[in-house]
Amino acid sequence: MFRATGLVSVQDLGWSGRRRIGLPPGGAMDPDGLRIGNALVGNLDDAAGLEIAQGELTIEFTAATVVAVVGAATVRLEGLDRPTNTTLGVPSGSRLAVSSAAAGRFALVTIRGGIDVAPVLGSRSTYLPTAMGGFNGRRLAAGDRLDCGPDLKAVPSDGTSVTWPSLGDGPIRLAPGPQGHLFGDEAFAALAGTTYRIGAHSDRMGSRLQGQPLAVRMMATLPSEATCLGAIQVPDDGQPIVLLRDGPTVGGYPKIGAVISADLARFAQLPPGASVRFAWSSLDEAERASRLAARWLNATLKTLRSRPPEG
Amino acid sequence: MTELPRIAPLGDAALTITFSTSISAQASAAVANLEAGIAARPPHGLLELVPGYTTLTVHFDPHVTTFRQLADDLALVSARPVRLEVLHPTPLVRIPVHYDGPDLASVAATAGISETEVIARHSGVEYRVGLLGFVPGFAYLGPIDPALVLPRRGSPRTRVPAGSVAIAGAQTGVYPAETPGGWHLIGRTTAVLFDPFREPPALLAVGDRVRFTVAT
Repeated sequence: MFRATGLVSVQDLGWSGRRRIGLPPGGAMDPDGLRIGNALVGNLDDAAGLEIAQGELTIEFTAATVVAVVGAATVRLEGLDRPTNTTLGVPSGSRLAVSSAAAGRFALVTIRGGIDVAPVLGSRSTYLPTAMGGFNGRRLAAGDRLDCGPDLKAVPSDGTSVTWPSLGDGPIRLAPGPQGHLFGDEAFAALAGTTYRIGAHSDRMGSRLQGQPLAVRMMATLPSEATCLGAIQVPDDGQPIVLLRDGPTVGGYPKIGAVISADLARFAQLPPGASVRFAWSSLDEAERASRLAARWLNATLKTLRSRPPEG
Repeated sequence: MTELPRIAPLGDAALTITFSTSISAQASAAVANLEAGIAARPPHGLLELVPGYTTLTVHFDPHVTTFRQLADDLALVSARPVRLEVLHPTPLVRIPVHYDGPDLASVAATAGISETEVIARHSGVEYRVGLLGFVPGFAYLGPIDPALVLPRRGSPRTRVPAGSVAIAGAQTGVYPAETPGGWHLIGRTTAVLFDPFREPPALLAVGDRVRFTVAT
């Protein structure tokens, strides 16, 4: 059924309310992308899809169904180029080949009915650090066979597509963190004024940044405390680590700030080697950006759901 | 130095209240007290509370509330006096340990005491859970006997078996699953620290008291 290279894993919207026992949110790196992908194939918002992290996936379908590919990817169905962000009918026996595009890191494939693996603590997501959830707690490999769940909602007609608002290539915006007072003005200026590169050892837990080191003004051993999605931790070598969805829920490194919610998926898409610039943002600006993104998402989902089904 | 307790944003969807910059019973009591106060009457938009040694972090829905609104809501709760004694006793969990870890000998040598003495000092103390994290169900326990305080291993192991009982710094803990790890392994337990098909999934919670016993 599958040919898989790179990291291909089953992901849904992840866990909530479990940080206090050390379980991070997990789930798809681009949750809004998963919601759109699910709406394009007539699934509930939180159905599980397949996330490809810088790799290739070929799926052979044993029954006719409907799929969509969202994110940084090129798509071929039976050897023909097909668009992303589009409802695609696939005949029984056909092959869908998805390769992540060089410009990005993650792509999502949603399939009518959703990937049907047993939920763990309410989520079908794969948490690789302890091999929990998803498909036997692991990344997918060639030869794996996966089932899909029942059809629950009407499916939009073939070729229905979504155009995402342009995110631009402006700087990634940052909100303050709880240990800002431990850093000097030079650190704030360096983070927002110089270019960083995404390091090679970046994964679903975090992206490592390489660039001007950030110095703490006074050395302090912090008792470990809670982190958040997008938190920018600064270890002793001064090279920041940005926590992503599988990142640890607690840590002892000072946090100079955090990527704002509205820019998190765009940041997570930056592949190793890409350069990135940051800009400090006010909480008001972060809230506005977040509301704007939510408004677009809700309107788009509503439109997709109200489309008359095919046939 | 900034005044304590301090409420600061943690990105745009969380905030952290810091009671102290060092670990103490008073700080833990203040965290527990505030957490109980918030849980009794959760403010609008609250998603999740994550207690730490000296901090309480509140994750919220930024579409429902804002940092400023929530900080005001919490100031009202934290204005109530802090009770140092928690009224209901916290549970005591006993964890049986086979003290035969691969680092037991080196820990004894570095500490300048016998292996038997390491075991006696590790199992002779009641610990408190200060924090859960690293991986699901990993509880940071402390403080350990000063003689056993060692820095982490120079090079972390790529695979530490589930159930390994370990020490590092002033802390001790049990690896709930096979993961990489840099702590010194002094024993192992058959206790299941994390089981996602059990409720609650984590054996230990922040504030619990823990004793390691010598398994026979």
